[in-house]
Amino acid sequence: MSKLLSETEKTTIIDQNGSRQENILNILLALQEASAGGYVDQETIALVAKKLSTTETKVFEIASFYSMIETKPQAAYVLEVCNSAPCHFTKSDEVSGWLEAELGVKRGEPTSDGLFSFRFTPCVGACDVGPVIKVKDAVYGDLSRDKVKELIQNLKKSK
Amino acid sequence: MSMKEPVLLKRVGKMKNPASVEEYRQLGGFSAIQKAIEIGKDQILNEVDTANLRGRGGAAYPAGRKWRQLFAIEEGPKYIVCNADEGEPGTFKDKVLLAEDPLSVIEGMLVAGYLFDSPEGFIYIRGEYRAIQKVFQEAIDNACAAGLLGTDILGVKGFDYTIAVVSGAGAYVCGENSALLNSVEGKAGRPRVKPPHLAEVGLYSQPTLVNNVETFACIPVILNIGGQAFLEMGTEDGGGTKLVCLSGHIKNRGTYEVPLGTPLADLLYSEEYGGGTSSGRPVKFLHLGGQSGPLAFPEQLDGLYSYQGLADKGLAVGSGAIVVLDDSVSLVEYSKKVLEFFVHESCGKCTPCRIGTTRALELLDDFASDKAKAEDIDNLDTMLANINGLSACGLGQAAGVAVRTAIKHRKEEFSSAARG
Ligand SMILES: Cc1cc2nc3c(=O)[nH]c(=O)nc-3n(C[C@H](O)[C@H](O)[C@H](O)COP(=O)(O)O)c2cc1C
Ligand code: SF4
Ligand code: FES
Repeated sequence: MSKLLSETEKTTIIDQNGSRQENILNILLALQEASAGGYVDQETIALVAKKLSTTETKVFEIASFYSMIETKPQAAYVLEVCNSAPCHFTKSDEVSGWLEAELGVKRGEPTSDGLFSFRFTPCVGACDVGPVIKVKDAVYGDLSRDKVKELIQNLKKSK
Repeated sequence: MSMKEPVLLKRVGKMKNPASVEEYRQLGGFSAIQKAIEIGKDQILNEVDTANLRGRGGAAYPAGRKWRQLFAIEEGPKYIVCNADEGEPGTFKDKVLLAEDPLSVIEGMLVAGYLFDSPEGFIYIRGEYRAIQKVFQEAIDNACAAGLLGTDILGVKGFDYTIAVVSGAGAYVCGENSALLNSVEGKAGRPRVKPPHLAEVGLYSQPTLVNNVETFACIPVILNIGGQAFLEMGTEDGGGTKLVCLSGHIKNRGTYEVPLGTPLADLLYSEEYGGGTSSGRPVKFLHLGGQSGPLAFPEQLDGLYSYQGLADKGLAVGSGAIVVLDDSVSLVEYSKKVLEFFVHESCGKCTPCRIGTTRALELLDDFASDKAKAEDIDNLDTMLANINGLSACGLGQAAGVAVRTAIKHRKEEFSSAARG
């Protein structure tokens, strides 16, 4: 687990991303990526509001409108299974079953060590290699049960 | 990535560093902006008109017409916006250009910047493409360092123009151009009420051009080979080549550059392209142009892949997606997937779209679980027609298209799923 960001670190991230209203999504995504829990907390939202001279309510509205921005703590690795039609009909419906078996949790629940959870996502633009799982910025395609197993092992090791 | 001599994908895979200005130049890059400056603004507009370039984002609106409308507006500054939201399921072609030839998109946006005396361009890249945003930013930085963005570009006094990358964050509706502009301004990405037209009241209420990634990438091609040659690569109703995305139950999934006017059957069955189904089973239907496009059945596949060729069959090019489904797929199940997508992505602003798609999905669940009655087929169709007619933006207006084409062409499959 990465440690909690200090206010100075957050401010640096905001400044690096332009510190203006137009960049709010870049800013929130960058803060989320650097955060310990994979989400933007209330304190961070307040800081962004202050830096962009806007209100917390407005920042929160944005955070809740966009599905990639989380306002609650996340597992270290959220495995996002694409379930749009092109992937769904090329076996992505089986992937969630494999994940359930491998991780021992249901969709949306974190594993007890807080390392993994899985959920569905709409098309990530990799339908030529479906079924796919997206983890942070990386997309893993042409999945089979073995590949899913391997992916989980590799992520565990990299922690 | 077929075709004897691709024009859009000609550099793809040939550069060690796709963001390198030097490599891009060696492969013919930045000659179009040079040419644009030489021939002058009227002639740029003429070339784009002659080319009959239709917008590649989905709506197929002629780029030449859009550019002339904006050109005729006197107020400024005008903004240039590139739509790189690529959210239509089954579409993954803009990604190829963004990641593997970003400078071609930048050059297209640069020509527009020059033509419209724009101070700034924005490219809105979907959040799912975070890694590609970095490549694109690097290409911008390299172009700045080479004097191709910044001030007095290419030595032209007063040609000052920059491009900023704006990230999306997971909202399909932001691909709709007015929602996109709200999102670029740092607001929630809900569509705006239209009119006013975006050409007049766009980004920061200024006149604005919004075009798709592939549309912008066509601009340097048009200037390099000439509008007439571009037109001749395609058909009269739409010039050039189109990036097509094959996915689903097709052997050779991937992005292909194809001349508009290629027989649709070739795209599916020739080894050069799709190579037939991956399962060896017969094609049951195609889904063209993303989830908002129509389904196409085998009896409709004998025409050309061109704007008019498809329109004649009640079909559409849309984003260029071609999802192939074999006969293992049930239309009721497929329809459910389509509606699930729209339920998830509706921004909730209009009731018909928000509630209507949910109700329609519930009705489809009845078909899937043996609870539907015969009259529910017409109920479903009417419900979808109403959503279409009463929704404020293209999302709700297209949410029912696929399912309605399924009902129109394969009503019997819904009937047999219904009880009495
Ligand atoms: C719900 C919805 C989603 C859209 N998504 C995209 C998209 O991801 N990319 C895109 O280029 N156009 C998308 N469009 C079309 C745009 O609104 C717009 O027509 C297009 O960007 C114009 O560029 P073009 O004329 O070059 O195609 C979408 C439209 C709607 C209604
Ligand atoms: S049609 Fe749907 S997506 Fe479009 S504005 Fe209305 S509710 Fe939002
Ligand atoms: S449908 Fe899964 S990546 Fe596109």
